[in-house]
Amino acid sequence: MGDPAVSLSTAVPEGGSEPPEPGESLRFTHTLRPSSYWLLSLKNGLLNVVTLTLWRFWGKTEVRSRVWRSIRLNGESFEYTGRGVELFVGFVLALVVLGIPFLLVVFGGQLMGPAFAAMILLPLYVFAFWLWGLGTFTAFRYMASRTTWRGVRFRLAGSAKAYGWKFLWVTILSALTANWYGPAGQRQLAQGLWDGMSFGDRRLRFSMTRSERIGLYGPFALGWFGTGLVAFVATILFGMMVNALGPEGANLSVPDWAMQSVFMYGFLVVFYPLFALVWAPYEAALLRSVAAGIVLDRAVFKLEVGAIPLWWLTVTNVLLALISFGFLLPLVQARTARFIVSRLVSAGTAEISEARQTSSGPRSGEGLADAFGFSAI
Amino acid sequence: MTRGVFYDGRVAQAWPAEVRREGEAVAFDAAEGRFIWSFDQLGVATHAGETRLSHPSDRTARLLLTEADWRLLAGDRAEALRRRRTGSEIRLAAGLAVVGMGVLAGSIFGIPAASGPLARATPPAYEQGMGDNLNYQMSAIMPTCEGAEGQAVLAALGDRLTVDSDSPFEIQVRAVEAPFVNALALPGGWILITDDLIEEAESPDELAAVISHEIVHVQQRHVMQAVWRNLGIGLLLDAVVGGGSGAGQQAVILAGQMTELGYSREAEREADRLGQALLHRRGLTSQGMAPFFDRLAEAERGDRDETREDSPFAEFLATHPDTERRAREAREREQPGGTALTPQEWAAVRAACRVSDDPIGGVQRRIGIGNDAPRTGKPDQMGENR
Repeated sequence: MGDPAVSLSTAVPEGGSEPPEPGESLRFTHTLRPSSYWLLSLKNGLLNVVTLTLWRFWGKTEVRSRVWRSIRLNGESFEYTGRGVELFVGFVLALVVLGIPFLLVVFGGQLMGPAFAAMILLPLYVFAFWLWGLGTFTAFRYMASRTTWRGVRFRLAGSAKAYGWKFLWVTILSALTANWYGPAGQRQLAQGLWDGMSFGDRRLRFSMTRSERIGLYGPFALGWFGTGLVAFVATILFGMMVNALGPEGANLSVPDWAMQSVFMYGFLVVFYPLFALVWAPYEAALLRSVAAGIVLDRAVFKLEVGAIPLWWLTVTNVLLALISFGFLLPLVQARTARFIVSRLVSAGTAEISEARQTSSGPRSGEGLADAFGFSAI
Repeated sequence: MTRGVFYDGRVAQAWPAEVRREGEAVAFDAAEGRFIWSFDQLGVATHAGETRLSHPSDRTARLLLTEADWRLLAGDRAEALRRRRTGSEIRLAAGLAVVGMGVLAGSIFGIPAASGPLARATPPAYEQGMGDNLNYQMSAIMPTCEGAEGQAVLAALGDRLTVDSDSPFEIQVRAVEAPFVNALALPGGWILITDDLIEEAESPDELAAVISHEIVHVQQRHVMQAVWRNLGIGLLLDAVVGGGSGAGQQAVILAGQMTELGYSREAEREADRLGQALLHRRGLTSQGMAPFFDRLAEAERGDRDETREDSPFAEFLATHPDTERRAREAREREQPGGTALTPQEWAAVRAACRVSDDPIGGVQRRIGIGNDAPRTGKPDQMGENR
């Protein structure tokens, strides 16, 4: 339990003759035990089935709640105050205002003949990317407003529409450059989110200079060219296996569908980890780069993520999600949170005790993100 | 009396709190204030030996106690509050399950029942537009066969079978290249017959039976009904499932697919029955349908017993009802009559898609590259082919 006297004492820097910096240093710890999420995973999975997935809003809220209260800053836990009904209302709003009209326009376009359909549908698909960005921003804004520490909320200020345009721009440039704009674009998107974030009235900033000290393009090149190499090897092996199974394969004494499934899953199991491996250095560097860019008062952050541990986490998480048909997603989220928090360190100090409460944030949550299926944890 | 930590929800500062129980409330002095939080409205969350209390009188304020202190302070109320929360959760889950089952029932029974009237109410011009769209897209992956004479015979057969039809759509039959045995009816009157199906048909009567079957799909607007069913079920299930992932979503998708398959099989039976009746009205034999189904059934048995991977019928079997039963029913209804095509016409149809034995050229055509690439059809080219 937090004792302010104990917390404040850790803020005093060691040695030196300079006057102590105001505020306190930031130390992240956790009490996350992923094994304790097995039962919650089972409960949420079963309730999702019997409620035709309507339970997911409440299930997701419970997972977030448990994850956040297991993460501690200077010995005091965070709290997630969101409610399932808020997510549900947000989803219904997004569905009525955007989802259903979107589907109807897509359907209507099919009735209008090829030229008219193209005229309507192409801009709509471009608009969908803007909407994706907007949905991501509003989802973060909602989650920030429902995350508290010492009773004070986080807040994400800024324009969701502007972020939507930034997202669209990054997407287009990435597509035009065979994704070589991706690393720079990801930093810009991170800046768009973290620069507007504050803890109460204490504003966080995103320092592009600090973020850029972590190089991204070397690991990106490794991933980009590595993908080509793995894809080449995969194609050769795929061709060899198809040939080997050719006419003789038809005589195997197991059903066709079972053979095909085993074949496809086997291929996935072998090659997915390889693709993940060549991209792991980039993904790790991106995480380090984003964390390095975040600044609160004089406190800076460092995420000590290595490529191999991140690769192992990713592959095992995907495996857990696949073999459980999604039942174990809460466990996956707990493992991910533990991975991040146990590697997050901070230097310098921040006057977090002086943070004052901020406005209560949106009344409903991340409906767009849920409607389009890209809701964060 | 016990000690706790209070966060007032205004500033991120911890205040020491002296906490005690006063009747049915938790009372404490902290942050230069006195607070009384009644048990019946208390929010309680316990984790890692720490209990966090909240109260609607001040939504952002929190009182932290050790779990042991909380149990000592609350006594039997601690267990009662835990049970109350569990009860609320069970009621919520039960309510959501009822809503979910209602949506599922609507998807399985309500929307399919409405799809027939909706299809009939759809303006033919809209259906035609959708058909033209689909036909254009299909042409990219199933190029029209080059044999102009064979295409003309097929088109004429389509015209002959629908000469006095009151359907708002002009039937437009064409042979296409595709690596499977199938015939497809698109909205608006487009009927595509694959080259593999023409190859597998042993007589013009079998081919005529397939075409009449597809014509019924168009005339009965089965395709439009399926479009409405898919849209309705899709919308309804999307409304519930949204972007949710995992087992629940998979169960919902599976239920939707099973519903669609059930209605699809029913439409196939109707198309068999009315297709034969259509042939009878034109004075043509309907004795081609049963032998075709017999061979499909044989291939089906072969697939089942020998797990042969190379059956060209696999695609055709996927969405249709039991083939042996269809063959039996077709045989019960069949009547003799004239043959749909002369030997010369039949030869022209058989030759419509046989342009080259060059395997590389064949692959190039099917993926739309090489010298034959222009054959990836556009609607106007199809018109020329006839």
